[in-house]
Amino acid sequence: MNSPNTKTAIPYNRSRQAREAETMLDHITDDFDDNPAAMDYFYDLFRRAYCQGESLEREGVRVGTTCIHAPEELIYAMGATPVRLCNGSYHYDQIGADFMPAKSCSLVKATLGMLSSENVIPKVGKLDLIVNPTTCDQKKKASAMMVGMGHKVYNLELPPAKESEQARLYWQRSVREFVQQLRQITGKKLTRKNLMAAMARTSRAQAAFRTLHNFRRKAPSLVLGKDVFLVTNAYFFDDIERWTEAVEKLNAELAQRDQDGFCAAQKKAPRILFTGSPPIFPNLKLPLLIEESGGVVVADETCSANRMLYDMTAVDEWLVNDMVDSLANKYLKPCTCPIFTNSDDRLRRLVELAKSFAVDGVVYQAFSGCQVYEMEQKSVAETLNKAGIAMLYIETDYSPDDMGQLTTRIEAFLESLKTRKRNRT
Amino acid sequence: MSRIAHRFVPALLALLATGLALAQGEGGEPLAGVRGGPVSAGDYAGRRPSEGARPEASWQKRAAEGTKPEEAIRDGGGTGMRSGGVLWLADTPPMRGEASRGRRGGGMGGMSMGGEHGGPPMKRLWLRAGADPQKAPFAHQEADASVETLLVHPLGKPEGEPLPSPAEGHTGLAFAMPAQGFYRVYVTTRKLEGDTLNVSVAKTEVGNFGHGGDEEEQKRAITAPRVLENAAIEIVRERQDKEGPFSQISSGMDQSFIVLQKGLPAANARVRLVSHAGWVKEMTSDEQGRVSFQIIRDYFPPWDEFQKRFKANYLVIAEVAADESGNHNDQPYTRVRYQATLAGNYSPSPNDYRSYAWGLGVGLLAVLFSGVAVYLYRRRRLKPFQEVRFDEKA
Amino acid sequence: MKRLKDAVDRVDLNRFRFWLQLAMFALLVYGGYLAVDLGSRLPMFSCGFNEEGRAGVCYLLPLQHQLSRPWPQLFGIAGVSVLTGFGVFFLWFIVLNKGWCGYVCPLGTIQDWITALRRRLGARYSRYTQGQFRQLSRIKYLLLALMVLIPLGIGGGWFSRDMGTPFCLICPGRMILPMFTGDFSQFTIDFSSKTALVMTALGMGITGLFLAGAFVKKRFFCFFCPMSALHYLISKPALLKLKKDGDKCTRCGDCYTVCDMEIKEIADDIKTRDIMMDDCILCLKCVAACPEPGALKANFASVTFFESTEAGFIKRSQKGIGLEQPEH
Repeated sequence: MNSPNTKTAIPYNRSRQAREAETMLDHITDDFDDNPAAMDYFYDLFRRAYCQGESLEREGVRVGTTCIHAPEELIYAMGATPVRLCNGSYHYDQIGADFMPAKSCSLVKATLGMLSSENVIPKVGKLDLIVNPTTCDQKKKASAMMVGMGHKVYNLELPPAKESEQARLYWQRSVREFVQQLRQITGKKLTRKNLMAAMARTSRAQAAFRTLHNFRRKAPSLVLGKDVFLVTNAYFFDDIERWTEAVEKLNAELAQRDQDGFCAAQKKAPRILFTGSPPIFPNLKLPLLIEESGGVVVADETCSANRMLYDMTAVDEWLVNDMVDSLANKYLKPCTCPIFTNSDDRLRRLVELAKSFAVDGVVYQAFSGCQVYEMEQKSVAETLNKAGIAMLYIETDYSPDDMGQLTTRIEAFLESLKTRKRNRT
Repeated sequence: MSRIAHRFVPALLALLATGLALAQGEGGEPLAGVRGGPVSAGDYAGRRPSEGARPEASWQKRAAEGTKPEEAIRDGGGTGMRSGGVLWLADTPPMRGEASRGRRGGGMGGMSMGGEHGGPPMKRLWLRAGADPQKAPFAHQEADASVETLLVHPLGKPEGEPLPSPAEGHTGLAFAMPAQGFYRVYVTTRKLEGDTLNVSVAKTEVGNFGHGGDEEEQKRAITAPRVLENAAIEIVRERQDKEGPFSQISSGMDQSFIVLQKGLPAANARVRLVSHAGWVKEMTSDEQGRVSFQIIRDYFPPWDEFQKRFKANYLVIAEVAADESGNHNDQPYTRVRYQATLAGNYSPSPNDYRSYAWGLGVGLLAVLFSGVAVYLYRRRRLKPFQEVRFDEKA
Repeated sequence: MKRLKDAVDRVDLNRFRFWLQLAMFALLVYGGYLAVDLGSRLPMFSCGFNEEGRAGVCYLLPLQHQLSRPWPQLFGIAGVSVLTGFGVFFLWFIVLNKGWCGYVCPLGTIQDWITALRRRLGARYSRYTQGQFRQLSRIKYLLLALMVLIPLGIGGGWFSRDMGTPFCLICPGRMILPMFTGDFSQFTIDFSSKTALVMTALGMGITGLFLAGAFVKKRFFCFFCPMSALHYLISKPALLKLKKDGDKCTRCGDCYTVCDMEIKEIADDIKTRDIMMDDCILCLKCVAACPEPGALKANFASVTFFESTEAGFIKRSQKGIGLEQPEH
């Protein structure tokens, strides 16, 4: 293995950063019995990428994205490969603290920290372009810093509201211009054929995700949330076709489990809906805590999982112009990101998920410094309260310091959910 | 396909004619009876049927100005049974003055709408004498003639029932039409002149159809038999293909008639058709008693006064002579001259006033204009949000 | 039962619709040759001017005829026949609601064919802006009002009889549908009077506009159709209904994307359950394009016979991309 970090004395796999990932992965695999066999692919993938620092470099043009709003179909169609740069490593969070104010989002800090370091984990290779959708303030301002680090950054302009027709058209225009930018970098033309092929790949991946998503409706649960977060996390950097196949395999196993009447968690385990700031490996501490404390995360509303893969594109006429506009629609209209002026869609989505997944309680994670999630907390709590669903609001960051305190809070919350359930029946 | 081609021919002809007319217009030659460019196309298109009339159809202007129509007919060998000439049933009174005023609306002439009074519609008919459909005067009752009037009701007995004579102070016959269908009136006049018995049957057919009636009933009424078995002689107009309750014959169409005697075809009868303006065409019936005329266009008003619903009258006269002997009013006769008349009306051909060339022209212009406008708009506009284009064919 | 329902929900709607529309077109435009007669109160443009082939007549023709009767008649006995005529029309209408437009109307089908032609030629479609849309969709009510008022005016003696059936005179169906049985006689301009001249020229102009418009704009004419306006006014008791469950809607706008009539409410309105808007043609493409189970439904007499499902959506969309869906 020809490691690029020859400067450092210790090899990567024995670094503090690798240990952070390894600890998390060990918890995920070893703290639970009966992990699905099909999950081995993902455990192995993360072990190789995060613990051993194995290279995942792809051929051709590599495009980093900092948010779910960058249309991956277009990137694939132009012969490039997208890599989602959002990072969950505490190690990078600490490095990134040099760029951002102390009270800012761990995710943005970690991403910046990763981009500024020479040894990027997961090792996806040199990026030809970073697409930075203008979402929240912190990501917007991160753009200039990424340029400062020597990256080529394209700011994909996202409207601040999504309801109006102007916003839709404005966004469609942004996306069209984004294609121009991609064309400059890849030298390829967007055609009906390559776009359809790209959309087919994404559509198959989404269909696989939706099947997995639907298996989580089953009570008692067939699969644990920590595994699903790992699966969707892998989508950030894994080869899309290999990922899809692995998920399809997992689905087949879950179907078998369903037939066999298998339970992945206790029958009375409180069913939790996870929302708010995205858990990204290795920062899966909150979902892990929930499931270690006897709950089960059955659904989520986060941009590292559901929001990223759930919404699918409908096209009326399979002509390039129509396909591009339809794609643009998909990346804007159904998005429940709190950066938009209006949070109605997010509230409705949460209530709908809570109902259709027979959820007992909601855990709302907000990274300290992520103002938009912090600000929406109150309205979400009120709405869920009205719908009779308990919610636990947790403000945290990537540091493991608050684990003890969080464990107490989560255990108490789960206990109260159990009591409520018992009283109801 | 041939059918489509057939339909397109008028359009192409009209297109040519427009070119011709425009060329003539530029040459400074005024077009007779036509005002302004746009009309010429319709006019030309319209003249086609009469131009296309068969060569043997030698129409003669018998009832032209100057000669009195009655005389003209009599000179031509007509059997003037009365001082007035041939007897026929009209649904319009004679026209006074020169202006040829048409009537508007289907079947409104001589018909007072019953709706206003709450009863069924009434129809009035007048017996007129003379072969000029426009000017023939009312026939006068002659003492020595025996007259018999029959009305065949669409739902009544097929042999008909006598129609009462008009009330005092009224000329003409009037009857109510409570049912849908064709009402037929036969006025049979028998008169002895020397050893010849003149039998004249004036017939007319009045259709009474309402909108929104029972369609089945209408269909039955249209296809019901229209022959009076014991009529001494009668002319039956043959139905056009797909004739509906409101169908009209129009100039340019072929119309055939069958001459029947006691319900049997009368061959070799002399049949004349007199057009609204007095043009006459004479033919002889074939073995089935059938004759066929092309109705000519003889309605040429100044264009401003043109009315497409103008109803012109035609008159068909059939004559058969027979060596039959018998007694009429105790007087013997050795020869019988049968004469049947049938009046009807026709309207201007749509080709007189409808132009394919202009229709297609306007349509194509609209297609081209809007097509080009859309094309240019899409090409040139740099409307925000749409300026980036992708090649569909790449 | 469940299997049947799944099969229906996974139907390839566009293909189904194409064949159904073709069959309906053949029935209505050529059915007359087979002596099919559905009467003259049909709630879509089975054009009465297609005298030979028609299997029934668009109600607007007899309606305008009836309304142009002289007033003493119209407000007397003839009024009854106007009412009974409307009753028959209404009975036809409530069966399919605006589904008459999306599945049966021959003029609508022709527009879909022109759209298919454009798609094959690879020309993209045009859209109105929201502002234009709002203005344009009012025109149909104006046409409906004129279509009633002008015949009444004729009956009252204010307008020339040449204005009789004013909407038919400007309706492109009058020219285009008879054309399919080889009858080109409507492609003419009537010079017999000024009124006739203007109306027939307007008719031909609109026909030209129709052909060009339908090429770039999906269902171009349906925005202006007074029949559509009339439908909407009486659509409350109709049996076929388009229902939306706003709770399940993610407002992703997929339905709006595929909507031929650019109805934004289908995507954005999460309160109205009866989501059929006045421009809707009930083609049900929105139901087929909705990935959220049960968010959009087509009901017949309150029985759901077609609803949006995830499986159906994925099957249809992957077929669109050309991806074979593995059998489950």
